[in-house]
Amino acid sequence: MMGKTIFIDPGRCIGCQACVSACRECDSHRGKSMIHLDYTDPGQSVASLPSVCMHCEDPVAPCAEVCPADAILITADGVVQQADESRCIGCSNCVNACPFGVPKIDLQAKLQMKCNLCYDRTAYGLAPMCATVCPTGALFYGTLEELQAERPGVQVADSFTFGDVVVSTGVAMVVPADKVQWPVPGGLPVVEVNGVDVR
Amino acid sequence: MTIPLDPSIAPPGTRNFRDAGGIPADKWHADQNGETLVPTHCCFCGIQCGMYLRVDKGGKVFGVEPRNHDINRMRLCPKGINAYQQVNHPDRLTAPLMRRSRDEEFREVSWDEALDFTVSEINRIQAAYGKDAFGLLGGASLFSEKTYLVGKFARVALKSRHVDYNGRLCMVSAAGANKLAFGIDRAGNPFSDILLTDCLLIAGSNVGECFPVMTQYLWGARDRGASLIVIDPRETAVARTADIHVALKPGTDAAFFNAVLNVIVRENLTDEAFLAAHCTGWEEVRAKVAEYTPERAAEICGIPASQVVQVARTFAGADKAMAWHARGIEHHSQGVENCLTVINLCAATGNIGKPGAGYGTITGQGNGQGGREHGQKSDLLPGGRSILNEEHRRQICEIWGIEESELPTAGTSMMEMVWQMQRREIRGLIGICNNPFVSLPNYAVVKDGYDTAEFHAQFDFFLSETAANAHVVFPVTTWAEDEGVMANAEARVVKHNKAQEPPAGVRTDTWVICELARRLGAGDKFDFPDSRSVFEELRVASAGTVNDYYGITYERLEETGGIAWPCPSTDHPGTPRLFEDGRTYHPDGTIHMQVVDWHLPMDPYDDDHPMSLTTGRTVAHFLSGNQTRRLGGLVEQTPRPWVEVHPSHGFRSGDPVRVVTRRGSAVFPALVTEAIRPDTVFVPYHWPVPTAANALTIDALDPRSKIPEYKVCACRIEAATQIDEVPAPPTAPGHQAYPETQVSRTDPLPPTAPQGRGTADRS
Amino acid sequence: MGVAVSLLLVVAIVLGSHCLRDFDSALLPYAVASVFLAFGVAYRYTMWISAPGARRLFRQGWRSFFSMDNFRKAPTALPKMIATYLGFQKFLGARSHARWAAHQLMFWGCLLAAAITFPLTWGWFTFTSSTGSGPGYEMRIWGIKVIGYDSASILGWLMFHGLDIAAVLVIPGAAYFLWRRMKDRGAMTGQRFAYDLVPLIALIVVSVTGLLLTFSSIFLHGGGYEFLAIMHMVSVVFTLIYIPFGKFFHIVQRPAAVGMQLFKYTTREDEQIFHCRRCQEPIDTGPYVENLRSTMRDLDLGFDQWAEYCPRCKRVLRGSAYLTQVKKGFK
Repeated sequence: MMGKTIFIDPGRCIGCQACVSACRECDSHRGKSMIHLDYTDPGQSVASLPSVCMHCEDPVAPCAEVCPADAILITADGVVQQADESRCIGCSNCVNACPFGVPKIDLQAKLQMKCNLCYDRTAYGLAPMCATVCPTGALFYGTLEELQAERPGVQVADSFTFGDVVVSTGVAMVVPADKVQWPVPGGLPVVEVNGVDVR
Repeated sequence: MTIPLDPSIAPPGTRNFRDAGGIPADKWHADQNGETLVPTHCCFCGIQCGMYLRVDKGGKVFGVEPRNHDINRMRLCPKGINAYQQVNHPDRLTAPLMRRSRDEEFREVSWDEALDFTVSEINRIQAAYGKDAFGLLGGASLFSEKTYLVGKFARVALKSRHVDYNGRLCMVSAAGANKLAFGIDRAGNPFSDILLTDCLLIAGSNVGECFPVMTQYLWGARDRGASLIVIDPRETAVARTADIHVALKPGTDAAFFNAVLNVIVRENLTDEAFLAAHCTGWEEVRAKVAEYTPERAAEICGIPASQVVQVARTFAGADKAMAWHARGIEHHSQGVENCLTVINLCAATGNIGKPGAGYGTITGQGNGQGGREHGQKSDLLPGGRSILNEEHRRQICEIWGIEESELPTAGTSMMEMVWQMQRREIRGLIGICNNPFVSLPNYAVVKDGYDTAEFHAQFDFFLSETAANAHVVFPVTTWAEDEGVMANAEARVVKHNKAQEPPAGVRTDTWVICELARRLGAGDKFDFPDSRSVFEELRVASAGTVNDYYGITYERLEETGGIAWPCPSTDHPGTPRLFEDGRTYHPDGTIHMQVVDWHLPMDPYDDDHPMSLTTGRTVAHFLSGNQTRRLGGLVEQTPRPWVEVHPSHGFRSGDPVRVVTRRGSAVFPALVTEAIRPDTVFVPYHWPVPTAANALTIDALDPRSKIPEYKVCACRIEAATQIDEVPAPPTAPGHQAYPETQVSRTDPLPPTAPQGRGTADRS
Repeated sequence: MGVAVSLLLVVAIVLGSHCLRDFDSALLPYAVASVFLAFGVAYRYTMWISAPGARRLFRQGWRSFFSMDNFRKAPTALPKMIATYLGFQKFLGARSHARWAAHQLMFWGCLLAAAITFPLTWGWFTFTSSTGSGPGYEMRIWGIKVIGYDSASILGWLMFHGLDIAAVLVIPGAAYFLWRRMKDRGAMTGQRFAYDLVPLIALIVVSVTGLLLTFSSIFLHGGGYEFLAIMHMVSVVFTLIYIPFGKFFHIVQRPAAVGMQLFKYTTREDEQIFHCRRCQEPIDTGPYVENLRSTMRDLDLGFDQWAEYCPRCKRVLRGSAYLTQVKKGFK
């Protein structure tokens, strides 16, 4: 795992949405922001979570697997691209299958779009726009070594649990040292205990 | 219902593909046809992040690119990223607007007509009612060169004592405290010192929203083990994760800091050696804080007494500690005193003038620091000189080439000038780079004052709410169409570069001021073709003063990326950190500690007004919003104001809630959150009436700094039936505010969180 | 499958050209290429349709298509979808008006060219003159006279120059896309030569050489005709063989979108809308979500019940799980 990639630390996210505005500046989809910024604790606190595409590695890109048109391609370096314009039929399979809730869909244009790790910038050695501007470093782009040089002792995890399934990803999240061995909870609520619906 | 043939259902937040804020600068195209990157800084807050403006082959600004400047290291906040969209915005004013009375519509006129009319009105008013009957109000988002011109124009061309600026609403409490304690008005340490500290205290500053890029220094310090203390009635983004968050009642800061010092004394955590060597007034301060026990503070501030002790031990126990504060403690009728209690805290623990230990105030406006240094403040002359000091007056008259008798004396503060307009003591006014209809407290009084004035001209590049009420509006340049310097919160002077030519019909503020001066007969004193020539005079005018710019030149700024004043000679490296030699700028070289007694806010609580209203900013908007309320991405993020209330009042998010003070009322959608005190409500102030927080705030002033008490007034909240709608930003006749940017303005819901609507919560 | 389709095509050619009587041997390479094309398309199609995502949507699409019930309820739905989606490609207009216009030019141009070329090369169309050299001509399909016309008439001109008209449509369309691929940063991101540029270049070469053939026969009295004919043939054969393997495969795939659209439309008519388990906002139609979940189960993606939550709730739940179970704040 992990060459240069994005590391997400919701703990230091201030919810300012600089990433959202920055994403709009990206030349490969100018005017349209692909990043999600959710306030995950409304009514209680101002906590927030930025979501870029996690670039799933195992299983490889569920979005691409469920695509009926083979429209989502994965580059050799593990970047899950947004839908190929000539193939995407706008069916929303990827939108609803993605366990992280990342892809967006333009219903009029019948086209899925999503974060492609700023391929237009990373291909030239620039960091993705969101991670470049993030005022707090909640989004960091680089290698794990570079992250640890800036933040002594920081640990990251790159696997997430959804029920019994563990998804490992190309993008990682910062976790406290005692939680490194555990996959990060993906948030799938427990709906059934011993066959009883507990929703 | 007919079902559309095309699929039309998609989950919320996945289908918003409207080009948010489509500014037709280039219709969002990203054509690869060559571009240049112009290095400059952001036009907004006092951090002054570096940025590149992307300029296309046709010479038009069309985008932004992060810049690895050492202030911000490529980081930008949402305002900074969207700032460039102002430059070629369709709402821009491109011809002078004029009317002879407020009953008429504006019409577009030639520059000559607008200038001649303005000058004839100045002459008429001054001839009939005296020189001082005409006033001038500047702004702290102007380049320092222009702020220098504002002061000089008032004193030399208008010959009026009535000049002030909107930093009066912003920085003056800290400035007053700094002058009293240190004899110099600026932050003691650079931002980079934050990375070296062991304990960081942030008082009354929503750093995460108002100075987002500064957060990297906070987190940097914490990554290295520093503890973070945040004093704020609201649990803001930085308070949420702080080691200690003191959610005190608004308007009780002085009691709190006195009590912290009380504990520090009681527990022998003071730095007696430092106090003995470098401070005066400690005995008196110590005697006074003895009255403020943690228990008493707990009662006044509405916090547990143990928190006072905890803060005292953490701050005083740290090897190196720093305190930074902003408007939260400054916008009070005892704003200066609040700042002094923080200074006392730093001085008593010996945390002054060392790497990682010190004190600073975070300026709100881009040139909040530089804007107050060179003479647009009612009592100051260039170089921070006092207009009441004989020696200073003589020096400046010599530089300006006028007789000392011609130089007016000190004027009054911005709010006082409005009162004077109500009383017809000031009958004419020119406003440059300010929007008091949104930014001054007690809107009813402000509107009345301006309406009473016989003549009012305003400089701006968008038609502000204030300009829309004027007789003459001069369309001037944005920051990207001229060059000049600003000084950020660290007192680091940085240079803004010109990225494109102004649109046809638009002139620089410098040109307009000089033209007015020429027509007033002072042309020989205002022979400035450009910013550079003004800066050369400013350098000379500040030479030898505390605020010494003499060693700073455009060339040096371009080479270095910024120089902190004082910088007395061109081989001087500047002074990022003050007091390193243990001396302050008072003649005796000591810190003058000041005794502070807490008192209640000016607006009394009673049964009808039992709660506190506090106001502030949100991350997507800047000050009076004249700039940011026109940028689609920012409107999309936060389309409207709201009232933040605690769940204990029984409202649900989105309910219409009326906030009533003695000055007025307005209905906002409720944002119900546990992140605010139950006895306090919060309303952001970027919007005009009928959704203006400042229609509710009190125009009580600090007796020393004359800053209004924005941060606390008495209020009550009640259920209402319908929220007040946000009006469209004003535009020149025949135009409408660019519709694509205004799509979400009428959204009746509050944002998901104070920082705005989540990306999936946009309608 | 691929072999079967190819054989079928060969049989159709043989029969359609009266046992090769009408077959123009000069066009043999084209016919052979089209047989290869048939093989490739059929092969790719089978491969494509056997993947779970495509298979399930394929079935649902055809099920909606063949449902009498649906037909009775909304007889015009399908023709309208085909016209707006496959014909006028309204959705491309939502992406960009310029691209829509350019694509329409290419689309109709290619369609026209295909409608002329394939029957011609397969010997299905013949043009005969009772006098041997005009001006009265007859057009025959499968040997049956369809229309008679005068070669000097407008109709005659159109018949004779059909492929030239197609080329004139295709060239500006393809040129616009090529220009855009050189200039637009969005288009340039991740663009691949073989996938994105070769098809455009191929179309332009085919069209330009085709036009030059006409130019040569009219103005140059056949000068360079031989060379041009070979160039044209090579480029056409290349393009045909390329279709199943590159960008042009979207031509074959696109109708699937109509199936998807019809499936969603008909299930929505029955008001079978599925709402997010947590926020109650609509996600999509119920059968669609069920279809997706089945697809996910086919693929062994063990979190298919997660599809019952909207993306926002997925993120918010993940965020709150992080807050409560991983870390609340900075540390």
